[in-house]
Amino acid sequence: MHEILLVEDNPDDVELTLRAFRKSNIANDMIVARDGIEALDYLFSTGIHAGRPGDLPQVVLLDLNLPKVEGLQVLQRIRANPKTRLLPIVILTSSIEEQDLVSGYRLGANSYIRKPVDFQEFVEAVRQLGLYWLLLNQVPPVP
Amino acid sequence: MTARRRWLTHPAIHTAAFIGLLLVMVTGRIAYRLAHAFPEYAEWMARTYDIPATPAAHEQMVHQRITRANMIVSRVSIFVTVGVLLGVTLIVTSHVLLMREIRRREEVERILQNTNRELESFSYSVSHDLRAPLRSIDGFSQALLEDAGPSLAPEAQGHLARIRHATQRMGLLVDDLLTLSKVARTEMKRERVDLSDLSAHIVSELRRQAPERVVHVTVTPGLAARGDARLLSQALQNLIENAWKFTSRRDVAAIDVGQTRDGSGTQTFFVRDNGAGFDPDYADKLFGPFQRLHGSSEFPGTGIGLATVQRIIHRHGGRVWAEGQVEQGACFYFTLA
Repeated sequence: MHEILLVEDNPDDVELTLRAFRKSNIANDMIVARDGIEALDYLFSTGIHAGRPGDLPQVVLLDLNLPKVEGLQVLQRIRANPKTRLLPIVILTSSIEEQDLVSGYRLGANSYIRKPVDFQEFVEAVRQLGLYWLLLNQVPPVP
Repeated sequence: MTARRRWLTHPAIHTAAFIGLLLVMVTGRIAYRLAHAFPEYAEWMARTYDIPATPAAHEQMVHQRITRANMIVSRVSIFVTVGVLLGVTLIVTSHVLLMREIRRREEVERILQNTNRELESFSYSVSHDLRAPLRSIDGFSQALLEDAGPSLAPEAQGHLARIRHATQRMGLLVDDLLTLSKVARTEMKRERVDLSDLSAHIVSELRRQAPERVVHVTVTPGLAARGDARLLSQALQNLIENAWKFTSRRDVAAIDVGQTRDGSGTQTFFVRDNGAGFDPDYADKLFGPFQRLHGSSEFPGTGIGLATVQRIIHRHGGRVWAEGQVEQGACFYFTLA
């Protein structure tokens, strides 16, 4: 319950994001998927996650530049499946290219956050993100 | 070839000329045949318009007329043939030239598209791939400071602080470079833009960020321009932010945004301040990327802001230049075509 799925291939970014969550006193379980396939396998209980009970994370933090299946494609497949159609997705990326922003929202992302270079700013961003998506926001029931 | 003369090479013009000549030729041939087939007709013509006294004279005149008609017709035939040949040559030549021009333009367009794609993927990498390692350097330096800080010598802590400072500066540079490359890639719109409105917004945002500063800002109302609102807003933002920054050591700073006419009467906008100014000997260096006339300890900055302004103004077909003296303020002028 109340876990966060972090889809991120860069191990440094995984480590820093976990650290930022710890520093913001967000105690939720963090599941890390290293590429798009792993993320989809987790959500749909397929592949390496076959047989996992079908509960969904509270929020998905999705990087865009991913190996195998690219971030926007992951988003597309999540929205195409009735089970995950309403799942809150936050794009967390380095890119502020307009095309990424537009495609991200068009494909149904709930939020788009650019990772700042300054780690203190990043910790602050993660703190607010956790506060909003884990405490304030109400998630729709799993169909 | 000028645009006005371009119709001369248009195939439709040549085709029409060709068809016209062909018609003249055909009519000529028909007239010739008619005159031969019906001498009575030629005779009637001669009689109708000039009736001779005797039948013999009449006979001779008819003969002369027919001969003359024959001569005229054969001359017309020669002209028509030459005309047709010329027409065909013109049509073929213009087609060949046109095809060559089309192929050349297609080639240029293809090269441009490739360059644009490369530029797109380059700026994508800048935005995405170059920032990721910077985040790691800054993040882990901070982690080290937090986890091992107390056991580190003050000097070592200072080094870590320097690493973070440099990393964040690099982050700013990457962002500014990205903005500069975006200016070149953005699709331009031409619309009415109220520069006074934009300036007022920019100034109120700056005041919000630094409420302690005393800055007298005068914006001439109704500064109307035609151009791309987003790009012009970016250019004004850079100019006004510069003025704001370089007046930071003035007890009472003054910034003027207004318009004037240059020597030739062209509408010229300006942003003037009473700040640190610059050495006019280096005025031409101001607009080059990474060019800075002040140390970053004096005034922070990446040296890309004015390069971005210049690119925006050039994209509008305008000019940008600066006047100033050390410690006597600076004035940046720009025109928009």
